[in-house]
Amino acid sequence: MILVFPAIAILISMGIYAVLTQKNMIRIIIGISIVESAIILLLGAISYIPDGVAPILDQPYDTVVDPLPQALGLTAVVINASTTAIMLALVIKLYNRYQTLDIHEIRKLRG
Amino acid sequence: MKKINFDKVFSFILVSLLGLFIMKVLYSVAGEEAARFTADHYISYGVDETGAINIITAILFDYRAFDTLGEATVIFTAASVVALLLPRHEASMLKTEFTPVVQQSIAFILPFLWIISIFLISYGHLSPGGGFSGGVIISAMSILIIFTYGYRYMTRRFNVKKLSLIEDIGALAFLTIGLAGIIAGGTFLANSQVGIYPGPPGELLSGGLMPLSNFAVAAKVGTGLSVIFLSLARED
Repeated sequence: MILVFPAIAILISMGIYAVLTQKNMIRIIIGISIVESAIILLLGAISYIPDGVAPILDQPYDTVVDPLPQALGLTAVVINASTTAIMLALVIKLYNRYQTLDIHEIRKLRG
Repeated sequence: MKKINFDKVFSFILVSLLGLFIMKVLYSVAGEEAARFTADHYISYGVDETGAINIITAILFDYRAFDTLGEATVIFTAASVVALLLPRHEASMLKTEFTPVVQQSIAFILPFLWIISIFLISYGHLSPGGGFSGGVIISAMSILIIFTYGYRYMTRRFNVKKLSLIEDIGALAFLTIGLAGIIAGGTFLANSQVGIYPGPPGELLSGGLMPLSNFAVAAKVGTGLSVIFLSLARED
Protein backbone atom coordinates (compact mmCIF):
# COMPACT_ATOMS: atom_id res chain seq x y z
CA MET A 1 0.00 0.00 0.00
CA ILE A 2 2.72 2.44 1.01
CA LEU A 3 4.39 1.92 -2.38
CA VAL A 4 1.48 3.65 -4.12
CA PHE A 5 2.76 7.09 -3.10
CA PRO A 6 6.09 6.86 -5.01
CA ALA A 7 4.12 5.61 -8.00
CA ILE A 8 1.83 8.65 -7.80
CA ALA A 9 4.80 11.04 -7.44
CA ILE A 10 6.60 9.41 -10.39
CA LEU A 11 3.47 9.56 -12.58
CA ILE A 12 2.83 13.24 -11.80
CA SER A 13 6.51 14.08 -12.45
CA MET A 14 6.48 12.11 -15.72
CA GLY A 15 3.39 13.94 -16.91
CA ILE A 16 4.76 17.38 -16.08
CA TYR A 17 8.13 16.46 -17.67
CA ALA A 18 6.27 15.54 -20.85
CA VAL A 19 4.39 18.85 -20.79
CA LEU A 20 7.66 20.79 -20.28
CA THR A 21 9.87 19.08 -22.84
CA GLN A 22 7.71 17.72 -25.64
CA LYS A 23 7.08 19.75 -28.78
CA ASN A 24 4.24 17.71 -30.25
CA MET A 25 0.88 18.87 -28.92
CA ILE A 26 -0.60 15.37 -28.86
CA ARG A 27 2.26 14.30 -26.57
CA ILE A 28 1.57 17.26 -24.29
CA ILE A 29 -2.05 16.12 -24.04
CA ILE A 30 -0.82 12.60 -23.20
CA GLY A 31 1.30 14.14 -20.42
CA ILE A 32 -1.68 16.01 -18.99
CA SER A 33 -3.72 12.80 -19.11
CA ILE A 34 -0.98 10.98 -17.17
CA VAL A 35 -1.16 13.65 -14.44
CA GLU A 36 -4.96 13.31 -14.32
CA SER A 37 -4.72 9.53 -14.01
CA ALA A 38 -2.21 9.95 -11.17
CA ILE A 39 -4.68 12.21 -9.36
CA ILE A 40 -7.39 9.54 -9.65
CA LEU A 41 -4.93 6.96 -8.32
CA LEU A 42 -4.22 9.33 -5.43
CA LEU A 43 -7.94 9.65 -4.66
CA GLY A 44 -8.22 5.87 -4.60
CA ALA A 45 -5.14 5.54 -2.39
CA ILE A 46 -6.18 8.07 0.26
CA SER A 47 -9.61 6.47 0.61
CA TYR A 48 -7.98 3.16 1.56
CA ILE A 49 -8.21 1.97 5.15
CA PRO A 50 -6.51 -1.33 6.09
CA ASP A 51 -8.97 -4.25 6.12
CA GLY A 52 -11.75 -2.00 4.87
CA VAL A 53 -14.48 -3.40 2.65
CA ALA A 54 -16.02 -1.62 -0.32
CA PRO A 55 -18.74 0.89 0.69
CA ILE A 56 -21.61 -1.34 -0.45
CA LEU A 57 -23.24 -2.24 2.84
CA ASP A 58 -25.36 -5.27 2.07
CA GLN A 59 -23.77 -7.42 4.79
CA PRO A 60 -22.27 -6.87 8.28
CA TYR A 61 -18.96 -5.01 8.25
CA ASP A 62 -16.12 -3.96 10.54
CA THR A 63 -14.37 -1.17 8.68
CA VAL A 64 -15.37 0.45 5.43
CA VAL A 65 -13.07 2.43 3.16
CA ASP A 66 -13.75 6.16 2.88
CA PRO A 67 -16.51 6.58 0.26
CA LEU A 68 -16.04 10.32 -0.27
CA PRO A 69 -12.79 10.31 -2.33
CA GLN A 70 -14.24 7.54 -4.49
CA ALA A 71 -17.28 9.66 -5.32
CA LEU A 72 -14.96 12.59 -6.11
CA GLY A 73 -12.86 10.25 -8.25
CA LEU A 74 -15.94 9.48 -10.32
CA THR A 75 -16.36 13.22 -10.85
CA ALA A 76 -12.70 13.56 -11.80
CA VAL A 77 -12.94 10.81 -14.43
CA VAL A 78 -15.80 12.53 -16.21
CA ILE A 79 -14.12 15.95 -16.11
CA ASN A 80 -10.85 14.42 -17.42
CA ALA A 81 -12.72 13.00 -20.40
CA SER A 82 -14.32 16.38 -21.11
CA THR A 83 -11.10 18.39 -20.84
CA THR A 84 -9.20 15.88 -23.01
CA ALA A 85 -11.91 16.13 -25.66
CA ILE A 86 -11.73 19.94 -25.65
CA MET A 87 -7.92 19.87 -25.87
CA LEU A 88 -8.06 17.48 -28.83
CA ALA A 89 -10.64 19.67 -30.55
CA LEU A 90 -8.36 22.69 -30.11
CA VAL A 91 -5.44 20.69 -31.54
CA ILE A 92 -7.54 19.80 -34.59
CA LYS A 93 -8.35 23.50 -35.08
CA LEU A 94 -4.69 24.51 -34.70
CA TYR A 95 -3.57 21.83 -37.15
CA ASN A 96 -6.12 22.96 -39.70
CA ARG A 97 -4.85 26.52 -39.40
CA TYR A 98 -1.07 26.03 -39.22
CA GLN A 99 -0.60 22.55 -40.79
CA THR A 100 1.75 21.54 -38.00
CA LEU A 101 1.59 20.00 -34.55
CA ASP A 102 4.90 21.49 -33.36
CA ILE A 103 4.16 23.98 -30.62
CA HIS A 104 7.31 26.05 -31.36
CA GLU A 105 6.32 26.47 -35.01
CA ILE A 106 2.87 27.68 -33.94
CA ARG A 107 4.46 30.18 -31.57
CA LYS A 108 6.58 31.57 -34.42
CA LEU A 109 3.60 31.99 -36.74
CA ARG A 110 1.80 34.42 -34.49
CA GLY A 111 -0.79 36.61 -36.14
CA MET B 1 30.02 14.34 -28.73
CA LYS B 2 26.32 14.77 -28.38
CA LYS B 3 25.08 18.19 -27.41
CA ILE B 4 23.42 18.31 -24.04
CA ASN B 5 19.95 19.79 -24.13
CA PHE B 6 19.93 22.15 -21.14
CA ASP B 7 16.15 22.61 -21.29
CA LYS B 8 15.62 18.91 -20.76
CA VAL B 9 18.19 18.68 -17.96
CA PHE B 10 16.68 21.69 -16.20
CA SER B 11 13.16 20.26 -16.57
CA PHE B 12 14.33 16.91 -15.27
CA ILE B 13 15.84 18.50 -12.14
CA LEU B 14 12.72 20.59 -11.52
CA VAL B 15 10.42 17.62 -12.00
CA SER B 16 12.51 15.41 -9.71
CA LEU B 17 12.31 18.05 -6.97
CA LEU B 18 8.57 18.26 -7.51
CA GLY B 19 8.25 14.48 -7.25
CA LEU B 20 10.22 14.42 -3.99
CA PHE B 21 8.04 17.21 -2.61
CA ILE B 22 4.82 15.39 -3.56
CA MET B 23 6.12 12.19 -1.96
CA LYS B 24 7.02 14.01 1.26
CA VAL B 25 3.56 15.63 1.41
CA LEU B 26 1.78 12.35 0.73
CA TYR B 27 3.70 10.44 3.39
CA SER B 28 3.12 13.14 5.99
CA VAL B 29 -0.61 13.25 5.16
CA ALA B 30 -0.90 9.46 5.31
CA GLY B 31 0.90 9.36 8.64
CA GLU B 32 -1.76 11.33 10.46
CA GLU B 33 -4.93 9.61 11.51
CA ALA B 34 -7.33 12.28 10.38
CA ALA B 35 -10.85 12.27 11.75
CA ARG B 36 -13.26 11.52 8.93
CA PHE B 37 -16.50 12.95 10.29
CA THR B 38 -18.41 13.14 7.02
CA ALA B 39 -17.31 9.68 5.92
CA ASP B 40 -18.24 8.23 9.30
CA HIS B 41 -21.66 9.81 9.07
CA TYR B 42 -22.20 8.51 5.55
CA ILE B 43 -21.17 4.99 6.57
CA SER B 44 -23.11 4.87 9.84
CA TYR B 45 -26.37 6.49 8.78
CA GLY B 46 -26.24 6.47 4.97
CA VAL B 47 -28.26 3.29 4.47
CA ASP B 48 -31.01 4.33 6.86
CA GLU B 49 -31.18 7.89 5.60
CA THR B 50 -31.14 7.30 1.86
CA GLY B 51 -32.30 3.71 1.40
CA ALA B 52 -29.41 2.94 -0.95
CA ILE B 53 -26.84 0.33 0.09
CA ASN B 54 -24.23 1.67 -2.33
CA ILE B 55 -22.88 4.61 -0.35
CA ILE B 56 -21.06 6.13 -3.31
CA THR B 57 -24.29 6.43 -5.27
CA ALA B 58 -25.96 7.77 -2.13
CA ILE B 59 -23.29 10.50 -1.97
CA LEU B 60 -23.50 11.27 -5.68
CA PHE B 61 -27.27 11.43 -6.04
CA ASP B 62 -28.47 12.32 -2.57
CA TYR B 63 -26.01 14.03 -0.25
CA ARG B 64 -24.03 15.80 -2.95
CA ALA B 65 -26.46 15.78 -5.86
CA PHE B 66 -25.63 19.41 -6.54
CA ASP B 67 -22.04 18.35 -7.31
CA THR B 68 -23.43 15.87 -9.78
CA LEU B 69 -25.44 18.63 -11.43
CA GLY B 70 -22.23 20.63 -11.87
CA GLU B 71 -20.49 17.58 -13.27
CA ALA B 72 -23.30 17.03 -15.78
CA THR B 73 -22.95 20.69 -16.75
CA VAL B 74 -19.23 20.14 -17.45
CA ILE B 75 -20.03 17.35 -19.92
CA PHE B 76 -22.76 19.47 -21.48
CA THR B 77 -20.34 22.39 -21.92
CA ALA B 78 -17.62 20.14 -23.31
CA ALA B 79 -19.99 18.62 -25.86
CA SER B 80 -21.18 22.08 -26.89
CA VAL B 81 -17.64 23.45 -27.17
CA VAL B 82 -16.38 20.49 -29.20
CA ALA B 83 -19.39 20.61 -31.53
CA LEU B 84 -18.90 24.36 -31.95
CA LEU B 85 -15.13 24.28 -32.52
CA LEU B 86 -15.09 21.54 -35.12
CA PRO B 87 -17.02 22.52 -38.22
CA ARG B 88 -18.44 19.98 -40.63
CA HIS B 89 -16.58 18.61 -43.66
CA GLU B 90 -13.15 18.71 -42.10
CA ALA B 91 -10.90 16.53 -39.99
CA SER B 92 -11.18 13.06 -41.46
CA MET B 93 -9.57 10.31 -39.44
CA LEU B 94 -11.46 7.05 -39.99
CA LYS B 95 -10.70 5.67 -43.42
CA THR B 96 -9.76 2.13 -42.47
CA GLU B 97 -12.05 -0.77 -43.26
CA PHE B 98 -12.17 -3.76 -40.94
CA THR B 99 -12.62 -7.37 -42.01
CA PRO B 100 -16.02 -9.13 -41.64
CA VAL B 101 -14.62 -11.04 -38.65
CA VAL B 102 -14.29 -7.84 -36.65
CA GLN B 103 -17.67 -6.56 -37.83
CA GLN B 104 -19.43 -9.80 -36.91
CA SER B 105 -17.84 -10.02 -33.47
CA ILE B 106 -18.70 -6.39 -32.69
CA ALA B 107 -22.28 -7.06 -33.82
CA PHE B 108 -22.29 -10.04 -31.43
CA ILE B 109 -20.91 -7.99 -28.52
CA LEU B 110 -23.17 -4.92 -28.80
CA PRO B 111 -26.40 -6.42 -27.31
CA PHE B 112 -24.43 -7.68 -24.31
CA LEU B 113 -22.89 -4.24 -23.79
CA TRP B 114 -26.39 -2.77 -23.90
CA ILE B 115 -27.57 -5.24 -21.23
CA ILE B 116 -24.52 -4.45 -19.05
CA SER B 117 -25.12 -0.73 -19.29
CA ILE B 118 -28.84 -1.02 -18.41
CA PHE B 119 -27.94 -3.34 -15.52
CA LEU B 120 -25.33 -0.90 -14.20
CA ILE B 121 -27.78 2.00 -14.42
CA SER B 122 -30.80 0.33 -12.85
CA TYR B 123 -28.82 -1.40 -10.08
CA GLY B 124 -26.65 1.66 -9.48
CA HIS B 125 -27.87 2.10 -5.90
CA LEU B 126 -27.36 -1.59 -5.03
CA SER B 127 -24.10 -2.65 -6.66
CA PRO B 128 -21.01 -1.05 -8.20
CA GLY B 129 -22.04 1.07 -11.11
CA GLY B 130 -24.49 3.88 -11.53
CA GLY B 131 -25.50 6.42 -14.09
CA PHE B 132 -21.97 7.51 -14.97
CA SER B 133 -20.52 4.05 -15.56
CA GLY B 134 -23.57 2.90 -17.51
CA GLY B 135 -23.53 6.06 -19.60
CA VAL B 136 -19.84 5.61 -20.38
CA ILE B 137 -20.56 2.06 -21.61
CA ILE B 138 -23.34 3.43 -23.85
CA SER B 139 -20.89 5.92 -25.33
CA ALA B 140 -18.32 3.10 -25.73
CA MET B 141 -20.95 1.28 -27.82
CA SER B 142 -21.27 4.26 -30.13
CA ILE B 143 -17.47 4.53 -30.38
CA LEU B 144 -17.27 0.82 -31.32
CA ILE B 145 -19.96 1.31 -33.97
CA ILE B 146 -18.13 4.31 -35.45
CA PHE B 147 -14.80 2.47 -35.56
CA THR B 148 -16.12 -0.77 -37.07
CA TYR B 149 -18.91 0.31 -39.40
CA GLY B 150 -17.81 3.83 -40.14
CA TYR B 151 -19.06 7.30 -39.39
CA ARG B 152 -21.79 7.22 -42.05
CA TYR B 153 -23.48 4.13 -40.65
CA MET B 154 -23.60 5.70 -37.21
CA THR B 155 -25.00 9.01 -38.42
CA ARG B 156 -27.67 7.24 -40.50
CA ARG B 157 -29.00 5.69 -37.28
CA PHE B 158 -28.23 8.42 -34.75
CA ASN B 159 -27.18 11.82 -35.97
CA VAL B 160 -25.78 14.50 -33.70
CA LYS B 161 -29.12 16.31 -33.52
CA LYS B 162 -30.97 13.23 -32.23
CA LEU B 163 -28.24 12.49 -29.67
CA SER B 164 -28.20 16.11 -28.51
CA LEU B 165 -31.98 15.93 -28.08
CA ILE B 166 -31.62 12.88 -25.81
CA GLU B 167 -28.86 14.70 -23.90
CA ASP B 168 -31.10 17.73 -23.36
CA ILE B 169 -33.97 15.50 -22.24
CA GLY B 170 -31.64 13.82 -19.73
CA ALA B 171 -30.47 17.17 -18.34
CA LEU B 172 -34.04 18.46 -18.08
CA ALA B 173 -35.17 15.23 -16.40
CA PHE B 174 -32.42 15.61 -13.79
CA LEU B 175 -33.44 19.22 -13.14
CA THR B 176 -37.10 18.20 -12.87
CA ILE B 177 -36.15 15.54 -10.33
CA GLY B 178 -34.32 18.29 -8.47
CA LEU B 179 -37.50 20.36 -8.40
CA ALA B 180 -39.24 17.50 -6.57
CA GLY B 181 -37.10 18.37 -3.54
CA ILE B 182 -38.43 21.95 -3.57
CA ILE B 183 -42.03 20.77 -4.01
CA ALA B 184 -41.60 18.42 -1.03
CA GLY B 185 -40.59 21.40 1.07
CA GLY B 186 -36.79 21.19 1.09
CA THR B 187 -33.91 22.41 -1.01
CA PHE B 188 -33.14 21.86 -4.67
CA LEU B 189 -32.18 18.22 -5.38
CA ALA B 190 -33.02 17.16 -1.82
CA ASN B 191 -34.08 13.56 -1.79
CA SER B 192 -34.71 11.54 1.32
CA GLN B 193 -34.05 14.39 3.77
CA VAL B 194 -37.38 16.02 2.91
CA GLY B 195 -39.44 12.89 3.45
CA ILE B 196 -39.51 11.28 0.03
CA TYR B 197 -40.06 7.60 0.89
CA PRO B 198 -36.65 5.89 0.53
CA GLY B 199 -38.00 2.34 0.26
CA PRO B 200 -36.60 -0.81 1.81
CA PRO B 201 -32.78 -0.90 1.55
CA GLY B 202 -31.51 -3.58 -0.82
CA GLU B 203 -34.61 -3.73 -3.02
CA LEU B 204 -34.59 -2.65 -6.66
CA LEU B 205 -37.10 0.12 -5.95
CA SER B 206 -35.33 1.93 -3.15
CA GLY B 207 -33.29 5.04 -2.58
CA GLY B 208 -36.10 7.50 -3.15
CA LEU B 209 -35.56 9.31 -6.46
CA MET B 210 -32.11 7.79 -6.97
CA PRO B 211 -32.99 5.29 -9.76
CA LEU B 212 -34.71 8.05 -11.73
CA SER B 213 -31.74 10.41 -11.43
CA ASN B 214 -29.45 7.51 -12.37
CA PHE B 215 -31.35 7.05 -15.64
CA ALA B 216 -31.38 10.80 -16.34
CA VAL B 217 -27.63 11.14 -15.73
CA ALA B 218 -26.91 8.01 -17.79
CA ALA B 219 -28.85 9.39 -20.75
CA LYS B 220 -26.93 12.64 -20.37
CA VAL B 221 -23.44 11.13 -20.00
CA GLY B 222 -23.89 8.44 -22.67
CA THR B 223 -25.19 10.74 -25.37
CA GLY B 224 -22.91 13.62 -24.32
CA LEU B 225 -19.74 11.57 -24.70
CA SER B 226 -21.12 10.11 -27.96
CA VAL B 227 -21.66 13.63 -29.31
CA ILE B 228 -18.09 14.54 -28.30
CA PHE B 229 -16.66 11.52 -30.12
CA LEU B 230 -18.89 12.00 -33.16
CA SER B 231 -17.70 15.61 -33.42
CA LEU B 232 -14.05 14.60 -33.07
CA ALA B 233 -14.37 11.81 -35.64
CA ARG B 234 -16.38 13.77 -38.16
CA GLU B 235 -15.33 12.98 -41.70
CA ASP B 236 -16.10 14.53 -44.97
